[in-house]
This record gives sequence, structure tokens and C-alpha cells, in this order.
Amino acid sequence: MNAALQSASRRSWRLATGFAFAALFCGILLGGVSAWLLGSVAIAGLSAAALTFNFHMPAAFIRLFAIGRTAARYGERLAGHKAALTDQVTHRAELFAAMAAAPAVRRAGWQLGDDARLADYLDDVEDLDYARLRAGLPALTLAAGLAVLTAASAILAPLSLLPIILFLLAILFAGNRVAKAGAMAWERARSLHRRGASRLGAAMASAVPLKAEGAWSHECADALAALSRADGELLALRCLQARLDMIGAAFGPVAGIGVMAAAWHAGRQGPDLLLPMLLAFSWLALGEAVNGGSRMLVAVLRGNAARTEIGQWTEIAATVRRGCARDEVEPPLLRHGALQRRAPDGRAIGTTISVLLARGQPTVLVGASGSGKTSLLKQIAGWIGDDAFAAGDRILSATDRRAQAALVLHDAVILEDIVRANLFAGNVPDAVLWRALEAVEMDERIREAGGLDAWIRQDRFSLGEVQRINLARAWLSTKPLMLLDEPTEHLDDGQGQRILERLMGHLSDRIIVISSHRASSLRGRTIELQP
Amino acid sequence: MKPPAASAPVPDPAAAASGRFQSLAAAGKLAKSGLRRLLAAQIARTALRLGFAATAAMSAGPLVMREPVDPWLVAATIALLSAACIAGFAAERAQASAETAVSTGLRELAARRLDEMPARQLQSLSVGSLIVSMQRHPEAVAALVVGHRAASAMMAAGPLLAATALFLVSWQAALLVICLTPVMILFFALVGDAIRRRADAQERAFGRLAGQFADRIRTLPTILANHATETEAAKLTRRLEAYAGNTMGVLRIAFVNAGIIDFFASLSIAILAVFLGLGHLKLAMIPGFSDLALWQSLFILMIAPEYFAPFRRFSEQYHAKAEGLAAAAALDRLLGAEPVVAKTLPALDRLRLTLPAKGLVAVVGPSGSGKSTLLRRLTGLEPGGCAPGLADQIAWVSIDSYVPEGTLAEAVAWNAGAVDRRRLEEVAGAIGLLDDALLPGGLEARLDKGGANLSGGQRLRIAVARAQLSGRAVLADEPTAKLDRETAEAVRRMLLTISRSRLVVAATHDRDLADAADLTVDLTPGDAIEVAA
Repeated sequence: MNAALQSASRRSWRLATGFAFAALFCGILLGGVSAWLLGSVAIAGLSAAALTFNFHMPAAFIRLFAIGRTAARYGERLAGHKAALTDQVTHRAELFAAMAAAPAVRRAGWQLGDDARLADYLDDVEDLDYARLRAGLPALTLAAGLAVLTAASAILAPLSLLPIILFLLAILFAGNRVAKAGAMAWERARSLHRRGASRLGAAMASAVPLKAEGAWSHECADALAALSRADGELLALRCLQARLDMIGAAFGPVAGIGVMAAAWHAGRQGPDLLLPMLLAFSWLALGEAVNGGSRMLVAVLRGNAARTEIGQWTEIAATVRRGCARDEVEPPLLRHGALQRRAPDGRAIGTTISVLLARGQPTVLVGASGSGKTSLLKQIAGWIGDDAFAAGDRILSATDRRAQAALVLHDAVILEDIVRANLFAGNVPDAVLWRALEAVEMDERIREAGGLDAWIRQDRFSLGEVQRINLARAWLSTKPLMLLDEPTEHLDDGQGQRILERLMGHLSDRIIVISSHRASSLRGRTIELQP
Repeated sequence: MKPPAASAPVPDPAAAASGRFQSLAAAGKLAKSGLRRLLAAQIARTALRLGFAATAAMSAGPLVMREPVDPWLVAATIALLSAACIAGFAAERAQASAETAVSTGLRELAARRLDEMPARQLQSLSVGSLIVSMQRHPEAVAALVVGHRAASAMMAAGPLLAATALFLVSWQAALLVICLTPVMILFFALVGDAIRRRADAQERAFGRLAGQFADRIRTLPTILANHATETEAAKLTRRLEAYAGNTMGVLRIAFVNAGIIDFFASLSIAILAVFLGLGHLKLAMIPGFSDLALWQSLFILMIAPEYFAPFRRFSEQYHAKAEGLAAAAALDRLLGAEPVVAKTLPALDRLRLTLPAKGLVAVVGPSGSGKSTLLRRLTGLEPGGCAPGLADQIAWVSIDSYVPEGTLAEAVAWNAGAVDRRRLEEVAGAIGLLDDALLPGGLEARLDKGGANLSGGQRLRIAVARAQLSGRAVLADEPTAKLDRETAEAVRRMLLTISRSRLVVAATHDRDLADAADLTVDLTPGDAIEVAA
């Protein structure tokens, strides 16, 4: 998306990879060369060669490797995180855009408005963000280290390839098992996790009836047991990991022993064993890096699971063609002769109804809870269904209406941002914003909170206050089609009536549709909905 | 570098008695035996690795020096290596199962706690944070009391074992690494302080931006409804960038911590290699580093990193500590919240009711006069009995009645004892659940989790049908509010049918229902409570 960000990310990854290689090779050589030096000087010390031995050169190298390893590791961590964070910005911005296009957002009950679901979703996003840093980069450097040391072993002590390759095969085999069984365990853990969460949510929503009927303990314990079973699945995954790590921990030392044994078997002795010893100690040092092997695998399988999960939201979005909306005309009239009402999942509800919406003549949708008022508002707004309404001599498709409608949802929320941003009015003078806040009787409260540039959050407001801020958004909207879903919900009768009257007066030049679960005193056309 | 004081399980009888929830203390108790096993396995692994290093050095040294090598030593090397790996495996498993045991145990304690909690207090909890808490927090606390605590204990035991091994070969070498430790810890303390200051400063400056992505996903429908997708997307990118930049600022310092351990581990190898080399060349006489056999210097070289490894493992746990402490605090807050004080209703306290064995009792009065409270008192959900206790088995009818996931038939029959299919169909039909246009499929219709695809009216009808099937006394809280006319009529009819054989107590605003009652309790304040037949 952003070219500058993309090139910054590429640069950081290159840097991180360079540092990672440097750190690994410094670490390997620090161990190897130190051991080699000790062997050399021990042999030299036996004879007069001690006096001519160039000690300073290898000693300087050892110091270089020590400092180099420390510095390169620091650089690797820093550059790696910088790269991952840069990718995260791009990735999350794209994800936001993709999620905004997902049809699920426009249906009933936004699932990610729920804390628990949102937390799960964020875990997935983070697993994806860091998969490359946690798995890709270390795997790359490890593979390079393995290749170099294996090649060196093939040259210095060919027979040592036998244990090395045997062990590598064992690791691949065990790794494969961890990957397969682990992915399944992770999937099961996720579904148990979700099941437990939704059962607990359902039990909490019915806490009083359940307690009264004496069924609470059982339901609550069952829900929590599902969460604990999810932990049990994770335990199984960790045990698989432990098995892989056990083989991984043995790999470096076994390769080292193999190199020494093979070199000795080939007849090398004394000083001829110095190079194999360097290699053997290098294998020991590389063995430390293999230790995190199972974590890389788990990062991969979690990344994969996260991609599938997030893909479910965004894939649907990709298949929806976003037609271009025309919004040049403000229709004075919207009409549909035989509108088939639909539930959010697309199912037809009841028989067709005739809808005529006119400017200056509010339409009130009345019906009991569950009669489908919100769904009809969303249908008019073009959020669900694909109906075409007639506007004079023109046809307004769902996409057209979506661009022209201000849908004032009854479950609208507060963004964690400043008040001004929460009013969504764009660049209008402050006086206009204050006028809107006065109309919904929120001016005092906002002044208390610190004015238009105060940072606000949902949990600082009561439901009624949230609803009034929501109505202020309606006040400030410039859209020709105003759809208000239960505008007086959470407000006491007098206040609700006052605010609604002001709002209707202010919006008299628009097409207005209001839903209400009680027969209201509003003048206007009424459509009574039966389920 | 000591285990954090806050996480130490301090038994505080006074706090326990006052009913506060102390997840850390409880978790500490749950972790005890697992932690012991884990530490035993970790100490065994360290000791075996040291043994492996010793035997490996003793085999490699003489080989290079053309001296005979005892074949048993090679066999011992391999045996010790295998044993060390197996001990490592055992340690990982022990840690995983100990942590799972703690999180499961904590959840059981939480369940007990939620069980004891009065319904009113339960209702005051935020459902979302309770779910998040029950899902994640026990795990985080478990990682703190098992993984983190084991790592901090190993920070004492690991270096001690390594130093002892070094001591056996050269006490001067042991002294050298031990002397490096306080210097390292000093650096640690300095850097740790800098990290904290930097992180605090960042939190003050950018804390608001931390949750912006999550917040924009949460609020997506609102953003969409206000046509703000594009502006919000642009703003989000800007804020994410700013936040990422500042996170890097903190990381730049935080990684110094790991760098210090790397530095001292590398430095110790470099210093030791040079000292030992000079000793072998006999160019300098450094006490403790001269006249050593090659195997001895190789051994020292191999042990030095083992000395520093526990410090590294501990520093990797700093997340676990912060998250665990935060999780424990959140659990304590949630489960130990002060009981919600009910509004005092003196009129209700004076009320003495004698409930008939059958018939319809209507409780009427304006909102807030205590109708629902009276129902709760009747079931013993709230203290203050005003009528001889009902039979302990009752059926509760309200708009928030429980609906399990499954088919409509399962939802209606839930907790209603054994019900035969025909009777089920009859009752569900009578209340109009089968010809519902919003719920096609009759008794086999699928209900979403928590009845998410049901309207309030449908939930209520399921509850009434269930009450009819259960054969128990019925308490109904506003059974006809928010229903359309026909449904309200069907509900009224069924409640009346039930009242012919059982007791039905209904708190209601509904005139029609109240008029049909055999007994009316009027809670309208001002007058004495009126009980009229």
C-alpha cells in the first residue's frame, strides 16, 4: 500500500537477516576457535614452538567474535522488531480496510464488538504479524548454519555425516508430527476456548433465572471446564514440543561427538584433530540455536491457523463487488411497491409490504421486539438485501442508498478518540458542533469531560449518554436519507421526547424513518410490523 | 533479581476472612508440588549437562594430546548427554502440566466463587471482561507462579552448580565468573531502571494509541454507518506508525538487557580462552590458569556459558511476570468485588405473605417498587424472606431465561425433566413457537449459542413452555412486556393454565394479567402494601 513503508520494511528485513547471520557465525566461531586455540597452544606448549606461536592473532579474533556476537544479536533483535512493526502497520491498515468491506459488519450483532471475541481476533492478528520474526528469520539462519557445518563435516570427517543425517531425519520426522498433531490440537483448543466463552456468556446473560432454578453451578462449571479442556489441548501440544526439543537438544552434541569420533577413526591424531575439534565445538554452539526449534514450528502453525480465521472475514469481502455509488441527486421520495422483508441472514420474513418514504413526512416503524424493525431499516439503508427503490424516475440500488443514508444504529458505540472525531462531522465550525451537543443535551457533559478535543472512551459514558452522542451525529449528518433505530432507547420519556422533537425539526428537509418498539406520539406515517 | 515480593505467597488470614479473592496465594498453593518436580528436573538437567561437559572434555583433551582415552569415558559422555536430554524433556513436561494444573485449579476456585456470588452482584460484572478473564488470566497467573518462579529459583541454583563444577578444576576460574556476576547485575539494575522510566514516559505520551486498531475493529459498524471508513483508515495508519516508532524507542533500551547477558557470556568465554591459552603456552604464569591439562581448560570453556544461561532464561520471562501480575490483579478485582448493596425497600421487609399452593399471584406496582426483588427473595436469591420458602424447585420465566445451544426441542425440554415428544409438541404449539415465521423448522429449528437468533418474545415463550413442562411452581418476571398482542395473549393463557394446578407468581405491569390473578400484591409506595384476593 504505502511505498515508503514497504521499502522501509524490506530494508529492515535485509538488515535483520544480515545481523542474524553475523550473530550465528560469530557465536559458532567463538566456541570453535576458542577450543582450537586451546588445543593448539597445549600442543605448542609441549615444545619450543611455544616461543614462536602467534598467540595474538587468534586471541584478537576471539575478542572480535565475542563483541561481534553481542552486537549482532542486539542488531538482529532491533532490526527484526523494526521490520515486524513496519509490516504490522501496513498489514493492520490493510486488514482494517478489508474488514470494513466484510458484509458481516452490516448484519445484526457485530461479533467483534464483544470483548472476548475481539481479544481472540487480536491474538490472531498478532500471530500473523510476528510469524516471520518468530519463525521465518530464525529458520533461515539456522538452515544456513546447518548447511555450512554439514558441508564442513563432509570434508573433514565424512563418516560423521551418518549420525548427523540420521538425527536430522529424526528431527524432521518429529517436527512433521508436531506440525500435524499440533495444528489439530491448536484447532481443538481454539474451538473449546470459543465454546467455553460462549457458554459462559450465555450463562452470565441468564444469571438470575439460572440461579433461581438452581442450575447455575452446573452451567458455569461446564463452561469453565471447556476452557480448562482447551488448556489440556495446549498441554498436549507442549508435550509434543518437548519431545521435539529433546531430540533437538541432543543434536549439536551428537554431531560434535560424531565429528571427533569419525576424524579419530580416519586416523587423525594429535594436531590433525585440531580442526575437527574446532568443528565439533562449532556444532555445540549451533546446537544451542536448534533448541528453539519447536517454538518456530508452533509460530508457523499458529500463523497458519490465524490466517485461516482472519481469511474468513476478509475472503467474503473480496468477493463482494463494490459498485460505484452515484450520489448527485437528493431524492424527495423513495418508493417500493412490494418489498420482501429479509432477516440479516437473507431469509425472507412475512409477506411483502409497500413502502413510501417522503421528505418532510417521517415514517415510523412500530412493532414488538423481534418483529424485524432494525432489519427493515438496514434494508432501506442498503446494508442488507439487494432491493432497488424508485426515486422519482430513477432507480436507487442498495449501493446507491448506502451512500445516501445515515443509519443511526441503536447499538452505536463511542470510538476511543477525541469528541470531535466521534461526531464524524468533518471540518465544520466548533459552534455547529456545540449546537448539536446542546440539541441532544450533552453540552454540559462534554464541557465537563474537557471540550471538543477531550479524549473519550466508551466506558466513561452511560448508555443514555452514548445514545445522545449518537443522536448528535445524526444532527450533524448531511445525508438526505435519515434512518433512526430506536432513537429514544436508554433515555427517559421526557428527555427522549424533547430531543427527538428538536431533531425532527432540524432534519425536516430529509427523508426520515424511525423505528420504535412502543407506539409513539410522533406524527407521520406508521408502518406496523408483525413478525 | 530476587523473586518479586508481590508474587510471594504470603498467607494473610485477615484478608482471606474478609472474603477477598487472592489468586496469587491460591495459585502458589496449587503450584507447590508441580514446582518442586519442575525444579528437581531442571537441577538434574543442569547437573547432567555439567557431567556431559566434563566427560566430553576428558575424552577430547587426551585425544588431541595423543594420550590414551578410556572407552568408558566416551560411553559415559553419550549416556550423560542422553540423560540430560531426557531430564530436559521431563522438565518441559513438568512445567507444562504444572501450569495447566494451576490454571485448571484457579478456574475451579473461580467457579466456586461465582457460585457463592449473589445474583445481583453477578449481574453487575461485565460479561465481556469476565469471559476474557476466565479464558486468559488463569493461564497467565500459572505462568507466573510456575515458569517464572522456577526460572528465578534456577538463577540461584544453576550458576551455583556451574561454579562448583568450575571450582573442582580451577577455583580461580570460578572466582572470575563469580566476580563478573555482580557487575552484570549492576548493569541490569541500571538498565532496568532506564527501561521503566522510558516505558512510563511512552505510556504517558502514547498510551492512548496502544489500542487503536482493536478499538477501530470493535467500532466498525459505527464507523461504517457514519461513512467514515476512509478517514478512519488514514488516521489509523498514521497512529499505528507513530505508535510503532515509539515502541521501537522502548525496545532499543529493553534489548540492552538481553545484550548485557550476551556480552558477559561472550566476554567470559573470550577472557577465559585467552587466560587459559597463555597458561598453556607458559608465557605468563597466571595462578589457576597455568599447568592445567587440555581437558581441564576445555571443560572450563564449556562450563562458562552454562553459568550465564539461567540469567538469560530469567530475562526472557519478564513478560510472564508483568502479565501474570496484571492477570492476578484483574482476577482479584473481578472475583473479590464488594457486594453490590441492594436498594433498601423497608416496605418489602415488613411484608409477610402466605402463598397458596396453587393459583396466580400478581405482584404489581410502578418500576422500582421492588417487584423483581420480591421474586428474588421468594427464591432465596436475596436475603430477607417475606414468605415461607417455596419448594426449592421452581421454574423462572423472564426475557433473559436461559437458552442452550441446539434445537428448539432441546431448548424447551432443557432442565424440565423427562419430557415425551408429543407433549413437547403440544405445549410448544400452544404457545405459538411452531408457526413462528422468524424461526422456521419447527421443533428441529437450530438455535444459535445463547439464543442469539431469538427475539425476546421467542425466548420468553420457550421459558413459558418449559415452565409448563417442568411441573414446578412458576415465578415470572414481566412475562408479557415487550411482546406483541397475540404473543402476550398466548403467554397469559398458558400461565393461567399452569396456575390451575400449581403456584404462579408474576411480577407484572400488565393489567390483563393482574386482573386474572387470584391474589394481587400491590407494592405501590405510600400506602401499606396491599394484598387483595
